[in-house]
Amino acid sequence: MARRDYLLKRVAWSLLTILFVLVLNFFLFRVLPGDPTTSIAKDPRLTAETRASLARRFGLDKPLILNLQGGNPFDSQFFAYFDRLAHGDLGTSFNFNRPVSELLGERIGNTVLLVMGGQLLAIVLGMSLGLLAAWKNRTPLDTGAITFSLTAWSLPTFWLGILLLIIGSTYLGLPTAGKETVGVEFDSFWAQAVDVGRHLLLPTLTFTIVLLGEYMLVMRSSVLEILSEDYILTAKAKGLSHLQILRHHALQNAMLPIVTLIALNLGFTVAGAIQVETVFSWPGVGSLIFEAVRRQDYPVLQGAFLVIAVSVVAANLAADLIYGLLDPRIKAP
Amino acid sequence: MIVLRRARILLSLTAAILLLTACGGGASTQEAQPTATEVAPQAAEPVVLRVGMSGSPDSLNPGNAWLTEATDLFELVYSTLIDIDFDGNYIPDLAESWTVSDDGLIWTFNLAPDAKFSDGTPVTAEDVAFTLLAYRDWADFGYMSGYATYFADVQAADEHTVVVTLTEPIGNMESQVLFCYILPKHIWGAFAGDLEAAVAFTNDEMVGSGPFRLVEYAQGEFYRLEAVKDHYGRPPVIDQVIFQTYANQDALVQALRAGELDMITELPSTVVPSLRNDANITVASGTSRSLRDYIFNLSSPETCPVDEGGICSGHPALRDPVVRQAMAHAVDKAQIIDVAELGLAQPGLGLVPAALGDFYASELKDYAFDIPLANKMLDEAGYLDADSDGIRECPAGMDCAGRQLDIVMQIPSDIGAGPREAELLSSLWGQIGIKMTPQVLEADTVTANCCPAFDYDMLMWGWGSDPDPSFILSILTSDEIPTGMSESCYSNPEYDRLYAAQTVEMDDAKRVEMVHDMQQMMLSDLPYIIPYYQMEVQAFRNDRFTGWPVPAEGSNSILYLQDPGSLTVVHPVQ
Repeated sequence: MARRDYLLKRVAWSLLTILFVLVLNFFLFRVLPGDPTTSIAKDPRLTAETRASLARRFGLDKPLILNLQGGNPFDSQFFAYFDRLAHGDLGTSFNFNRPVSELLGERIGNTVLLVMGGQLLAIVLGMSLGLLAAWKNRTPLDTGAITFSLTAWSLPTFWLGILLLIIGSTYLGLPTAGKETVGVEFDSFWAQAVDVGRHLLLPTLTFTIVLLGEYMLVMRSSVLEILSEDYILTAKAKGLSHLQILRHHALQNAMLPIVTLIALNLGFTVAGAIQVETVFSWPGVGSLIFEAVRRQDYPVLQGAFLVIAVSVVAANLAADLIYGLLDPRIKAP
Repeated sequence: MIVLRRARILLSLTAAILLLTACGGGASTQEAQPTATEVAPQAAEPVVLRVGMSGSPDSLNPGNAWLTEATDLFELVYSTLIDIDFDGNYIPDLAESWTVSDDGLIWTFNLAPDAKFSDGTPVTAEDVAFTLLAYRDWADFGYMSGYATYFADVQAADEHTVVVTLTEPIGNMESQVLFCYILPKHIWGAFAGDLEAAVAFTNDEMVGSGPFRLVEYAQGEFYRLEAVKDHYGRPPVIDQVIFQTYANQDALVQALRAGELDMITELPSTVVPSLRNDANITVASGTSRSLRDYIFNLSSPETCPVDEGGICSGHPALRDPVVRQAMAHAVDKAQIIDVAELGLAQPGLGLVPAALGDFYASELKDYAFDIPLANKMLDEAGYLDADSDGIRECPAGMDCAGRQLDIVMQIPSDIGAGPREAELLSSLWGQIGIKMTPQVLEADTVTANCCPAFDYDMLMWGWGSDPDPSFILSILTSDEIPTGMSESCYSNPEYDRLYAAQTVEMDDAKRVEMVHDMQQMMLSDLPYIIPYYQMEVQAFRNDRFTGWPVPAEGSNSILYLQDPGSLTVVHPVQ
């Protein structure tokens, strides 16, 4: 059962990675000087009791790792963190005073909507363009496609977003922020869907353009490499048409690196397109993270980063397994 | 080429969908923004005003809300006994009139008899008494507890009369009740004596007696308010107002340009010139109570609050008032205002901003920008440049004897123009032989270094004053050194005496005089250099709504277009 052992080993490693991430996650946000009560407590209208109470409310008065002041040595911020995690409690946001899991839950749907749409479009367009460019190698079409992809890949996301926002808003009357138009009653689900679609258009376009370049270039070089293989020459010699060669031989083999790339990128999906969401005020996980960074909202950052880390590790695991399934050359060690 | 054809089909499908949504949505846009002409009473379309803001309220509960965006919302949905107008005069809100006893201890408020909460229940003196006492007893209910410290007792004399007895006579009672949002007893009474529950209450319905009521709220995105048309005091003309959060300031400005918003509460100063060119948009600027300050570390081994973690590492030369005064003479405030605020500020004097009206000591003469004089002062005081490297050294006899006048100014990274401003200061002070190196740090790091650690030479920071000067004056008192509120470790017994005196001074004229004397001390002793008072800059579309209370040119009136005093009076352009 080599394959099952391989599977178990990979899963075990993934779990270990997640544990490491959890510990790192905790310390990362406490390394910087100051904490939220310092920034809030700057206002002299707050009494000393208020500041102390704020600290107590968020457990910031407890020692960091071990409580050596007599009593329970595990009564510290570190163990409290793990204890809560075990109960599925990602903590309470300092700024919103609501459970982090609730905040994330509300926003994750919006992020997935945006990012999945952008990813899918980028994958389809990128792969098609890459395939086309590789097929029409060394023609002006190929050069044009490469130039376009390199430019798209190197554009700063927020800059492109603002540019598209201004153009889209001025010339196409597209909305500038949010997920839906506020204060409007929708007569039907279709009307609401169209409204969301209009709000989704520019952010998705930004996201797609930025990702497109990467997929195109990888696909193109992957296909080019395969097209130079001996078995392609053999297939041509056998009299197979271009279509048959592309479809039955080139495409499947070229897909391998792309599948890995897609799986890895999808892992970052829940990181939310932080820049895109902020430029377009899209209410997703990305803009939540941005806001939390601005206001040093540790619990939200911890919770969000945890979710992202788990997604990335899971996606990595999936990529490994899918790759193993797709490529018969890879035997389970 | 099946693969390519499939891709092409997908492509054209996608394009079709995109095009459909871009065009098909056109109809709903028009519905969402009713045109200004639909004002006839029979029109079914409500008059909706759209405001764009940068942040969002952090909570609907005054007990755990700290941001100005939250305060803006509370001002609209709650009433207070007294309100303040844009010129700084106290005006009636829930209390139609009020009197104070001769000894200043007993305040009697007569409430508007027809005031109602948004759920229909009448507002009575019981609600007011409950609220004020709750704020006093809930030891840390947001900012509210700080305002209730002087309330000894609050009684409902009858249904519409409230009697407040103070612990001592204070000169600024009105400013204490200014932010005490009156809560309905029938909802909040359940949390009396239970702070945890009171703070945990989500307050989703925000039942209050303000001119607007909350109807829809999406945290971090928007909130929608409906006008209370039968409001006792100031029923709004418009029907609804929507506050929408824009995470990005460029989008905020674009939305105003595109007509998606009617007013924006803030904008980057860089965009002002181009917005002014748009005929449909008016950029308004007015006074605010915000200021920029440069703080000197005056802590010495004698005054250092060691017990509270004081490090007190400031350059000793800065403790010499002559050095500080010379540095003040080398600050070109006009140039700094141009560079840092693009001209949108007025020269500063002391911690009490010009917006505070009579309290502002306009008669005081500031340090003139005079580099030769500054150099002369430092020469005469013995700070010479022995090694001719352009930097002066401390004279013999001081604890820093021989040490160069080489200081570091720490700047929090959230001051956008901070580095540019500091660069300018550096070159100005370089001309008088003082080397200043700017250091930009995380805001929290600056807080940690500031006070009571006093681990810095100079800081660049800022404050926003209350309408009443008591709070901003308090940060220079000796009492605030160990608490961390005193940023400079300034300690002057005469100043402390005056501060205590003005707190309990009932005579306005006498109190103003005391506050002016304190500003004179601030100017002579110079614990701070105040380069400018910032102006509030906001923008609105002039083709939609009119009646925006924009201060006259040169006046010291406050600009604050999201204030109830503004949103209740604006009406559609006819």
